[in-house]
Amino acid sequence: MSEIGRLAIILGFACSCYAVLSIAWGLRTGMAGPLKSGRRAVWIVCGLTLLATIVLERALVARDFSYRYVAEHTSLDLPPYYAASALWAGQEGSLLLWLLILSSYGAAFLWCYRKRFDPFYDAVAMVVATVMIFFTGLLTFVCSPFRILATPPADGNGLNPLLQDPGMMIHPPILYTGYVGFIIPFAFGIAVLLMNRTGTRWIEEVRRWTLFNWMFLGFGVLLGARWAYIELGWGGYWGWDPVENASLMPWLVGTAFLHSVMIEQRRGMLKTWNVALIVLTFELSIFGTFLTRSGVLTSVHSFAESDIGPWFLGFILISSTAATALILYRKVLLESENRMDAVVSREGSFLFNNVLFVALTFATFLGTTFPVISEAVTGEKISVSAPFFNRVNVPIALALLLLTGIGPVLSWKRATASVLKRNFILPIFVGVLATLVGIPFGLHGVYPIVCVAGAAFVLATIVMEFARGIQARKDTEPAAPPMAMVHLVQKNKRRYGGYIVHFGVVMIFVGVLGSSVFQKEAHAPLKPGESLAIGPYSLTLRGVEEKQIKNAMQTRAAVDVSQGGKRLQTMHPSKAFYSKSQQPMTEVALRPTPAEDLYLILGGVNDDGSVSIQAYINPLVSLVWLGGIVMVFGTLIALSDRMRLKREEKLLG
Amino acid sequence: MRRAGAAVALLVVLAGGIAPAVATESAAGRKDPARAITSQLICPCSCGEILSGCTCDTGKAMQGFVTDALKTGKGKDQIVASLVAKYGEVIRGAPKAEGFNLIVWIAPFVATVIGFFIAAFVLRRWVGRRRVTAGGPVGGGLIGAPTTADQDLARLRARAEAELKRMGE
Repeated sequence: MSEIGRLAIILGFACSCYAVLSIAWGLRTGMAGPLKSGRRAVWIVCGLTLLATIVLERALVARDFSYRYVAEHTSLDLPPYYAASALWAGQEGSLLLWLLILSSYGAAFLWCYRKRFDPFYDAVAMVVATVMIFFTGLLTFVCSPFRILATPPADGNGLNPLLQDPGMMIHPPILYTGYVGFIIPFAFGIAVLLMNRTGTRWIEEVRRWTLFNWMFLGFGVLLGARWAYIELGWGGYWGWDPVENASLMPWLVGTAFLHSVMIEQRRGMLKTWNVALIVLTFELSIFGTFLTRSGVLTSVHSFAESDIGPWFLGFILISSTAATALILYRKVLLESENRMDAVVSREGSFLFNNVLFVALTFATFLGTTFPVISEAVTGEKISVSAPFFNRVNVPIALALLLLTGIGPVLSWKRATASVLKRNFILPIFVGVLATLVGIPFGLHGVYPIVCVAGAAFVLATIVMEFARGIQARKDTEPAAPPMAMVHLVQKNKRRYGGYIVHFGVVMIFVGVLGSSVFQKEAHAPLKPGESLAIGPYSLTLRGVEEKQIKNAMQTRAAVDVSQGGKRLQTMHPSKAFYSKSQQPMTEVALRPTPAEDLYLILGGVNDDGSVSIQAYINPLVSLVWLGGIVMVFGTLIALSDRMRLKREEKLLG
Repeated sequence: MRRAGAAVALLVVLAGGIAPAVATESAAGRKDPARAITSQLICPCSCGEILSGCTCDTGKAMQGFVTDALKTGKGKDQIVASLVAKYGEVIRGAPKAEGFNLIVWIAPFVATVIGFFIAAFVLRRWVGRRRVTAGGPVGGGLIGAPTTADQDLARLRARAEAELKRMGE
């Protein structure tokens, strides 16, 4: 069977090369035949990659240890569902997943535009096929997942215990769907330059593809944070780890693009900037994979390191240089068609919002890569971690929070004094009021105060916008407020979907503030019957037990939680020792409520028989997860604006 | 209008509610001096975790060292210095702002300020040009190629004509 997988990838490489050459020939000569044939080749690559993936999945689930990849990442005692998810546990499997998603995007793209016989779309497919050459080439010549062992072992090495978590079964595919999906906006951008294309039509299409990928990437990042919260057991969910940063950077630049693209749609401005952002987003996606896979930086999320780093670095250098050269070559094509009417306008605020997004990305990029740079220059090993990012990134993020409220309520072209007065007095009042109410309750420090004021300010602008919209609709269509709100959103899904996304952002900011600044911690060695107090809770150790679970030996503590003398529940923080990997894993115990999470970690059993218990109270952490869901919901609403686009198309024939 | 007013009043209450919900937890918050130190350091073993949340053996030993040192009356700087002397600069979560490392501290803010200046300069230039060209055709676009604004206008005209036609039927 391995030969089938290997052959599928080799044929995929050949078909990718053929697709590029055929489409390029068709574009040059204007002949329809080569274009059609090139499109078919992209479909075939998708089919071949799917076949290769099925072959590898079959081997993983059947624990066919003759495959080196299967022997390295699974074992006989591994549950089948985790064996299936081992596809993304190692280097080769992850790259195969990359290629599968990439070729699926290529096929999905061709399916979406199957009725458009415009060479522009062929050019987009050609760019996608070019990237497919790189990945099929890597899997063919550098790191094939179908390598066979001369003497298969009786059992495999097993799966990294950190990956034996239900969240890990969906987090990487969702994250990859976002990461890889940025190929389509990138291909659109390059095709525009190659084909000398103008107009706003492609911008709307690219916006939708970007929004789709952006949603998946954001959701994937949040799932990763949730996984870290539950699986890593350090009390938090975001540690500014290099791999976390790598996934955040394309999301940040993608967010900047989603804002600035509105200026291009409305005013025909910022064209060069938008293409540059598309290119940067894609390059950062590749850079993220490079960071995860190269082992250049130490990360708690790096599970598959190898020597393919230079290949990725080479690809980033070549593709970014080619894209930059193309942008410069087509400079005239990207000239703005309009000029700004006033600095104080929505365009102006979006421009500053873009500066902040890019600055935040730059700060994250510099901080992430600085240990390598510093060691190369000074020879000394240093770390750049959460304490640095909290000091540098938080002020920039807070400025962005404020702009989240300011931008949407400024008018396009020019915001007059009366508009400013009408739109800002109330939100500023609400922001100040929230701060004043908070101070007597112990709110202190510049960042927390700015965060609370900013969150209240943004919330006020969002509610105001909805209230005004409902009021305006009331005159033409009398309906109860909830129905009026539904109709309002239905009439302008993009706009109100955006507001809902902003609402989710506010929730995340408040959740992060609550769970970081106001986190409480207590730890102590406890013997059965002894108690530890944290906040309003009293934690009493009832006992410890050891038992065999699936493929690990588990040490489990029973901790009674009570509040005000009333017993609430028994929590079970535990530690599992995986025999295959000889690694201990912390399994936290959670008591989540909307207001706060009680989070218990079992540190270990001490020599004197006591048990080390570490407890945290993470206030408002639920808002982080809920905010993420709200953001996805808002994005889906904005994406469902397809109907309007179709109506416009129909009208234009 | 009354409904909008009611929504606004509700909003004030909701927004005002955020602050106390968050702030009530703050009073007894970060008062732990050991945590103030360990939250700024990284465990030197391969786990790479922030020391305050680290549960590995090296991390626990270092946390114990910090707690003991505080009991003997040592200050934060002394404790950090002795740990750095033992494990190296790599245990600082944020590099010391001196020498070559100053770049990582300064560059993000310098880049942000430069970005703002460029944005302000571009905006001023665009607004200035707009004033100069006021009265004449705005923007040129590409020679011989329809501009985005032209295309949008044509699209809107077609839409308006189609709607008028439909209304007339």
